[in-house]
Amino acid sequence: MYRKLRLCSNSGAYEAIPDPPRPLDLVRVRHALEQEGIAVVDARVMLIVGLDPEVTISRNGRLLFKTRDPATAERAFDRLQKFLAAFSGGDSGQ
Amino acid sequence: MLMSGGIDSPVALDLLLRQGHEMVAVHMDNRPFTDDSPLEKVVDHLALLRERYHQSIPLYLIPHGSTQVTLMRNTDRHVGCVLCRRFMWRSAERIAEREHATFLATGEALGQVASQTLSNMRNATASVHLPIVRPLIGFDKQEIEAVAKSIGTYGISTRPGVCCQAVPDKPATRTQLVQILREEEKVSVEEILDECIRKAVVL
Repeated sequence: MYRKLRLCSNSGAYEAIPDPPRPLDLVRVRHALEQEGIAVVDARVMLIVGLDPEVTISRNGRLLFKTRDPATAERAFDRLQKFLAAFSGGDSGQ
Repeated sequence: MLMSGGIDSPVALDLLLRQGHEMVAVHMDNRPFTDDSPLEKVVDHLALLRERYHQSIPLYLIPHGSTQVTLMRNTDRHVGCVLCRRFMWRSAERIAEREHATFLATGEALGQVASQTLSNMRNATASVHLPIVRPLIGFDKQEIEAVAKSIGTYGISTRPGVCCQAVPDKPATRTQLVQILREEEKVSVEEILDECIRKAVVL
């Protein structure tokens, strides 16, 4: 379950934070995204996902949508839901 | 002069230009760990200062995102800020050599962020040889902001933007050089640097 999207501290992006905390298996999330043809930069502790807008997915489940438009952020959030729901619960030992 | 788009670096640059130095700007492009806003801010800072001091001030844009990925994948996250700064300094020194510059400069002030403790600054700058000028080293935040407002750069610096996402949750504030060098051995420093400088563009 994620809290409502909110502007990050520098007001440059929207963020979504899981409540309760929800660590993600980033390796599996990355594979699932890539299978759908979505470009992903894997920085081990976070993924940077080539959606519109670009999204950073942290291992602790935090999502950062690089847009100042809430509707655009919501759309990307909805699109990511199916990937995140399947792979919460920690990493696979990368 | 390393320019970040933040409040401090244009103030430091202004002070050096005021003294009559001919300056070259370097911006480390941290995308995709930020958005476009830091670069846009640097471009606007320089437009303002170029006009005020009637200097061309070339801006070198150096890709740094892939370096961050390499560091994050291969090294201890806690010392990530120091390792990142070492690559910034080295890149700036390469540009300085190309431009026949005699010193490097930043807007660092002691203790403002994790990378700006004395030990971290010393370990970061141990990667380069040119003298480093820090015009703001003893300034506090209020003093820097006051100058930024007076020269017109504050409004640009404080526009919305995405903070660097590569900063670890708990960055080390006290590091030892031996520890930094050990971590750095895990990546190919010269290869990374060559690639970044090869891809640098002048704006």
